[in-house]
Amino acid sequence: MKLAKLFAWLPGLLALAAALATALPPGPVRGFDMDRFGRTPVLEGGRVKPLDSVARNALLMIRGKQGVPFEGRQLGPDEWMLDVLFRPEAADAQPVFVINDPDILGLMGLRQTADRYFSFDTIAPHLQEIQSQAMAAQALESVQRSRFQNAVVNLFDRLVLYNHLENSVQLADSPGLFAELQGLGGPQSAERDRSLAEASRFRILPPLPGQSPDAWLNTGEALIAAASGTPHPALVALATAGAGYHAGQPEAFNRGVAELQGLTANLRPGALRHARSEILFNRVQPFYLGMVIYVLALLTLFASWLWRRDLLQPAAFSLLAAGALVHTAGLVSRILLQGRPPVTNLYSSAVFVGWAAVILGVILERMYRKGFGTAVAAAAGFASLIIAHHLAMEGDTMEMMRAVLDSNFWLATHVVTVTIGYSGTFLAGIIAIAYTLRKHIAPAPDPATTRTLVDMTYGIVCFALLFSFVGTVLGGIWADQSWGRFWGWDPKENGALLIVLWNAIILHCRWGDYIREKGLMAMAIFGNIITSLSWFGVNMLGIGLHSYGFMDQAFWALAWFDASQLVLIALCLMPRRFWAARLN
Amino acid sequence: MPAQRLKSFAVRCWILLASLQVTIVSLVLLMALVVLCTLAQTDMGTLGAVNAYMRSWVVMRQLQGIPFRLPLFPGGALVGLVLVANLSAALVRRFEFNPRKFGLWVVHAGLILLVAGEFVTGAFQVDTRMTIEQGQTVDYLESYRQMELVVSDLTDPARSEEYGIPDSRLRAGAAIPLPGTPITLKVKRFYVNAALSPRGPNDPPSLADRGVGAGVTLTEAPPAASDKEVNATSAFVEPVAGGRSYGTWLVSAVLGAPQTFMHEGRTYMLSMRPRRYHLPYSLTLKKFSHDIYPGTDIPKNFSSLVHLSNPARGEQRDVLIYMNQPLRYDGKAFYQASYGKGDTLSVLQVVANPGWLLPYLSCALITLGLLLHFGITLFNAIKRREKEAS
Repeated sequence: MKLAKLFAWLPGLLALAAALATALPPGPVRGFDMDRFGRTPVLEGGRVKPLDSVARNALLMIRGKQGVPFEGRQLGPDEWMLDVLFRPEAADAQPVFVINDPDILGLMGLRQTADRYFSFDTIAPHLQEIQSQAMAAQALESVQRSRFQNAVVNLFDRLVLYNHLENSVQLADSPGLFAELQGLGGPQSAERDRSLAEASRFRILPPLPGQSPDAWLNTGEALIAAASGTPHPALVALATAGAGYHAGQPEAFNRGVAELQGLTANLRPGALRHARSEILFNRVQPFYLGMVIYVLALLTLFASWLWRRDLLQPAAFSLLAAGALVHTAGLVSRILLQGRPPVTNLYSSAVFVGWAAVILGVILERMYRKGFGTAVAAAAGFASLIIAHHLAMEGDTMEMMRAVLDSNFWLATHVVTVTIGYSGTFLAGIIAIAYTLRKHIAPAPDPATTRTLVDMTYGIVCFALLFSFVGTVLGGIWADQSWGRFWGWDPKENGALLIVLWNAIILHCRWGDYIREKGLMAMAIFGNIITSLSWFGVNMLGIGLHSYGFMDQAFWALAWFDASQLVLIALCLMPRRFWAARLN
Repeated sequence: MPAQRLKSFAVRCWILLASLQVTIVSLVLLMALVVLCTLAQTDMGTLGAVNAYMRSWVVMRQLQGIPFRLPLFPGGALVGLVLVANLSAALVRRFEFNPRKFGLWVVHAGLILLVAGEFVTGAFQVDTRMTIEQGQTVDYLESYRQMELVVSDLTDPARSEEYGIPDSRLRAGAAIPLPGTPITLKVKRFYVNAALSPRGPNDPPSLADRGVGAGVTLTEAPPAASDKEVNATSAFVEPVAGGRSYGTWLVSAVLGAPQTFMHEGRTYMLSMRPRRYHLPYSLTLKKFSHDIYPGTDIPKNFSSLVHLSNPARGEQRDVLIYMNQPLRYDGKAFYQASYGKGDTLSVLQVVANPGWLLPYLSCALITLGLLLHFGITLFNAIKRREKEAS
C-alpha cells in the first residue's frame, strides 16, 4: 500500500518541482543579458524596486499581460522596456495597447476584429482627438462618465504612461545619452534636460555617499547636475548600456549594465539585494502558479468521483497542499518585500481571502476526509487568485500606503481579522453551493455526507461571525484613534457590519430552529452576496473613492456573480431533482 | 376575570419581548436600514443619510403626489431601542448559571452596551474644528454646522470685544439686546442657507439699505445636505440704539467685506461666521508638515507641531499631532484633519464624546464572551468526536 501513498503525493511534489523550476533565471536574449538589466534598482512610486517590476506593471496596465508577442517571438517585460527606453522607434511598432471599446476603435476609423492590440504607430495619428475627448471626459466625475468616456480616459492615461516611459532615461528623440553628455552647455541642452527630468517615470541613479537615502536622480536631473560640474558616476555606464542596445552590440550593453550594477552595489547594496529578491518573486509569479495548481487539484478531485477514488482523492489533496504552499510562499514573500502585514489594498485582500479559505479548507479536509474540504478550498483559492490577477492591472500591487493607513499595527490586526471574516463567510457559502449541487447531481441521497456538510457550514459560520465581528470592532477602535469616532456609518464600515449581522441572523435562526439544513445552506449562499457587495460593491458607490475602467467591468462581474448566487439559492431550496419529479 | 386576563396579556407581552423572533426581525430591519443608509449617502451625504436612517425613530419620505411626508420604515433609533429591550429582556428571562451559556450571556450584555454607546454618541457627541495658521495662536473651537451673528466693538484696536448670537436665536421678528451695550438687534429675516448674487437691473430692491447688502440679491436655499457643502447662513438685521435705527444690513457667512457702523463714538462691526466655543487654553501652530513619498504626490504623513498653553493649570508644552495620534486633552480629542494655504494652515478636528469609552468596554466584554463560548463549544465537540471514534 506504500505505492499508493507515493502515488498520492507524486502530483503535489511534481507541482512543487515545477514551481522551483520557474525560479531559474532565464538566459540572455540575442546575447543581451536582459535579466541583469531588469535587476537594476530604481526609485518609482515612492519605493525602490527592480526595473523589471516597473516594466511588468507598466505592461500589465497598458496591455493587460506581462509579455508582447511580436514578429513570431514573445518579448518579455525587460526586453520590451529596453526597446521603449533605447529603441523607441521599434517599440512604437509593437502592438501593446489593448482596446476593447468599439467606439474608441471607431474614433480612429478602425473596425472591431479579433485582434484587440494596437501599436503606438497605429494610434499616433489620432492622438489629438483622443486627448481632446479625454479632457472633456475628465471634467466629469467618474461615475457620471459614459462607457466611451471612461474608456477614452483610460486609453489616454495609458498613452501618457507610455510617453513618460519613452522619456525616462533619455528623450525619445535623443541621439543617445553620450550625445547628450557631450552637448552639455549647448544651445538647447538645458531645456532638453529639464523636460527629461520632468517626463521621467523613474529615478535610476542611486544617491551618492552622504546624501539622503531618498535622493535618487533620474537622468534628466543628473544631466542638469553634470552641466553644473557634478556628474553622477553611473551616467557613463548607463549611456554605454543604452548605446550598446541601440546599436545591437550585446558586449557593450552587457558591459554597461554590469558597470551600472557594480556602482549601485557600492552605493546602495541594500537596494540591489531588495531588487534581486523582488525580481525572483516577479519571475515565479507564485499567485499565478498557485491558481494553476488549484485548478489541477479541482479537476483531479472531480475525476476522483468518477474513477479510483482511493487514489485520486489523496492525489487531489496533495495538489491542494502544493498550491497552498506556493500561495503561502508568495504571501510571505510579499510581506517580507513590502515590510507590511499581508493586506494593504484590494489586490492583496483578494490574495489573502483566498489563502485563509484554502487553509480552512485544508483543516476541514483533514477533519472529515470526504474530499469536500479539498473541493471548496481549491475552488476558493482559484476564484480569489483569479480576482487578484485582474486587480493587478491597476498598477504596482505593492504601492505605498497613504498617510492614514500607514500603521502596521492596525493593518495587522483590524484588516487581517476582518479579511479572515470575509474568507469564512465565502467558505461557508461555497460549502453550501457544494451541498446544493450534490443534492441535485448525486444519484442517491447520502445522509451522513449531508450531515458533515451541514456541520462544516455551521462551524464555519460561527468562525466567520467571530472574526468579522472582532475585525469590525477593531476597525471601530482604529477609527476612534484616528478620526475621533468609533462608528461613522461610512460605506466600508456598513459593509463589514452587514456581514456581522447576516452571520448573526443565520445563527439565531438556527438556534431558534426556524431553519434546518436547507435554510441554513440557502442563507449561507446569501452570505456570498453580502460579502461580495461589502468587499467590492462599496468601492463602486463613488463616495470618496474613484472608479476606473476595471471597476466598470467589475460592476457587471459582480452583478453576474450575485445573480448566480440567487439562482443557487433557488436550487438549494427546491426539492431534490425537482425536474425529475415533474417528468414522472 | 379582567385582572387575570391582564396578567396573562402582560406575560405574553413579556415572552414576546424576550423572544428570538423579535431579535431576528430587528436584525433584519437593521440590515435593511444599513443598506438604505449606505445607498442614500451618494445623494444625501454621510451625515444626512445617518440622520435620516440611523438616528431617526421613523424614516419619513415624501412620495410623489402626496403633499405630506409619510412614515415609511422604522428608523435606526427605534430598531436599536427594540433590540436593546429585547436583549435585556432575554438576558433577564434566560439567565442561568450554566457554563455552556455563560459566554453567550456575556456577549449579549456587551452588545447592549455597544448599542447604548451609539445612542450616547448620537445624543452627546460634539464635533468641532480648530483652524490654525503657522505662528497663529487660537483659543476657540468652531462649529461645523452652527453659525453665529457677531457684533464686534472695534473701538479699541488692541482689545476688541465680541458679542455672539447663536443662529438658533435668530428668528424673523426677534429683538435681541446685546448685554453690556446700548444696542438691540432686530432680526428682519433669517435664512439657514441662501444663494447670494450681485443685484441685476430687474431684481426687486434689497431689504438692506446699508452696507454691501444693498447691492445683493438673496434667494433662500434648502439647507446643505452633503458633508462637503457649507450653509451660506444669512440674515437681514437692524441695529437699534438709544431709540435710533442704524438701517438694515445683510449679514451672511459668504460675505467677506467688513460692515461697520458708529454709535456714540464706538465702532461696531457685523458679521456671520461659524459658531465659536472659547477655551480656557490655547494652541499655537509651530509647524505643519505634509510629507510625501519621494518622487510621488502620495501623502506619507501629515503632522502639526503645536504648543499647548493653559495658564490656569500652569501647563506649557509642545505636542505633535499626526495621523492616528490625536491629542487628548480636556475631555476632547484633537485630530489632524485637513490643511491648506500651501501647507501653512492646519485644520484639527475636535471631538468631545462623553461616551467614547463605552465601545471599548463593550468590545472587551463581547470578545471575552465569544472566546468563552466558542472555546467551550470546540472543547465539547472534540470530546464528542473522540467518544464517537472510540
